[in-house]
Amino acid sequence: MDFNLSPESKMMVKAAKDFCEKEISPIMDSIIENNDYPDDLITKFANARMLGLVVPKEYGGVGTTNLNIILITEELGKTGSVCAYPMLMNNSTAETIDYWGSEDVKKKFLPPLCDGSAYACTAFTEPGTGSDPRALTTTAVPDGDDFIINGTKRYITGGNKKGYGVFYVKDEIMKGEKGDVTAFVVDKSSEGYSASAPWSLMGLEGMNCVDVFFKDVRVPGSSILGERGNGFPILLRWIAGERIQQAAYMVGLGQAALDESVKYVKERIVGGKPMGFMQGFQWMLSEMKGRIDACRYLTYRAACLQDDGKQIAIDSSELKIFVTTTIQEITRMAMQIHGSYGYSKEYKVERLFRYAAHAGVVATSTELNKTIAGSALLKSKR
Amino acid sequence: MNIIVCIKQVPDVTEVSWDPETGSLIRKGIPSIINPDDKTAIESALQLKERYGGEVTVLSMGPSQVEEALREALGMGVDKAIQLTSKEFAGSDTWATSYTLGLAVKKAGQYELIICGKEAIDGMTAQVGPQLAEYLGIPQLTYAMNIEVVDSKVRVKQKLGDLERLLESPMPALITVEREAYPPRVAPMDTILEAYGKEIPVWKSDDLNGDGDNLGLKGSPTKLRKVYTPKLIKGKVEMFEGGPEEVAHKFVDKLKEKYII
Repeated sequence: MDFNLSPESKMMVKAAKDFCEKEISPIMDSIIENNDYPDDLITKFANARMLGLVVPKEYGGVGTTNLNIILITEELGKTGSVCAYPMLMNNSTAETIDYWGSEDVKKKFLPPLCDGSAYACTAFTEPGTGSDPRALTTTAVPDGDDFIINGTKRYITGGNKKGYGVFYVKDEIMKGEKGDVTAFVVDKSSEGYSASAPWSLMGLEGMNCVDVFFKDVRVPGSSILGERGNGFPILLRWIAGERIQQAAYMVGLGQAALDESVKYVKERIVGGKPMGFMQGFQWMLSEMKGRIDACRYLTYRAACLQDDGKQIAIDSSELKIFVTTTIQEITRMAMQIHGSYGYSKEYKVERLFRYAAHAGVVATSTELNKTIAGSALLKSKR
Repeated sequence: MNIIVCIKQVPDVTEVSWDPETGSLIRKGIPSIINPDDKTAIESALQLKERYGGEVTVLSMGPSQVEEALREALGMGVDKAIQLTSKEFAGSDTWATSYTLGLAVKKAGQYELIICGKEAIDGMTAQVGPQLAEYLGIPQLTYAMNIEVVDSKVRVKQKLGDLERLLESPMPALITVEREAYPPRVAPMDTILEAYGKEIPVWKSDDLNGDGDNLGLKGSPTKLRKVYTPKLIKGKVEMFEGGPEEVAHKFVDKLKEKYII
């Protein structure tokens, strides 16, 4: 067991930090103001070769490890901004296409997702379901070699941005069978595809989370990932990876909350001395540090399991439960340390607190993950 | 067009502190970085390569950990790196450093340009670039804001305070760049991975065919006598009162009285 990062990984972290300082920090306020990120952000991610990180080089990717993605994501998390989402989507969606797609699908969709000429999205959620595949109402009906898709998807990050997405829909012919969910790669500029205005979400200004409408959208059967009716395992695998990326982002967010708190207690003078001299604050800071480190190494472990090709469904659920609740508490403590200033939008901790709130419900809720991990424990033979 | 970039690894001064007792720099635990002006030099060379072709080689003298700075330069996209590490180089002042770099440049092969940062944030002498040009007997174009090649000649916009001058010289030539001239790129992730697959030759004093008496501390005419933090002198604070214009006049009068302006 080696807790030391390789020199390559350390340099990637440094590059990600440079990227945040150079490309993200200057646009943070305008993203919140405009509820959108600039069009060239994805190009900047592509130039820094931060898209398609685990995709093999032959398809335009970087060919690195999940651990390195996690380290980069952690740095982005320190900004407490939604800017990471285009990068995360183009990485996780591309990984799914690479893992499950046919050679033709990979050659068609992976290069534009890696070079930033296309935005990715992954879409399962609908107005009536967030985690139950039986309740999906978006349908695909075969028509020759093609399929015709109809329905509505909800809260789809980047669903309004030009590019490609992986969409999970009910296969009408297989309806009622055990596996009746099929994953299609859909061109978001297809006729009949449209998106709503972005939802206004707490702490997630500029995330471009939209509803997507399919009205007789024709999709070639060749763009199916894996087998027809095999969509749910594809989704579960993607979500497990997503939980790990989310955890990495939250670790960065928590670290930013701690860094801001340390800075604040050194600068804020109370009774003629910096606040940090008070034992109570030292206790809070040390607790925060220990908890963040625990989250960090649990996240790295999950990424290493992923790189080793191990099953991560249960581990990623446990990770999600622990990291989400812990970092939410960390951001609360950071606000408490800042006193009334913590509630001011002038201070970064206010944004971190709001941002952290969403982690409990995206990529499956904390409670659902408790059910997943808890029921796995009961089934365990140990 | 082949370009050699000379870089220095320096302590990250944003994290440096001083020992108040000894007045010396506390280096323990302080991360090292590529001198910011030298990072600008790397970026300028990469942009020139993208425009005119050729190869970029980065050169650095220092202890073994200087490899880290060279790897970072490779991560940014330079083609080759050469490390100058030898116990004989230790304690070099700017003269001995320029001499050692000059020997290495001669060994490195054909080049059209040498680019250095204007100065290092730890020493702030701005001497190495010009001295290297003198040693090699080539033209030097300093404080460059913009570099281009026109009719086989290099042309730079030189920044001198509020003035700007357009300088031109035949090549080979040496250029020192201003920090704000070429904001360094973020090292791309794939290039970082490739950087660790490249071999970095380490040249020692024996490899350079120089005069050993000119190397390191022995070859350094500058001797460091003492490093210290100037003591703060407690003075009287004088507060001006009145409207903004009135206060400004009083302040200017006071500065004149003290011969500051």
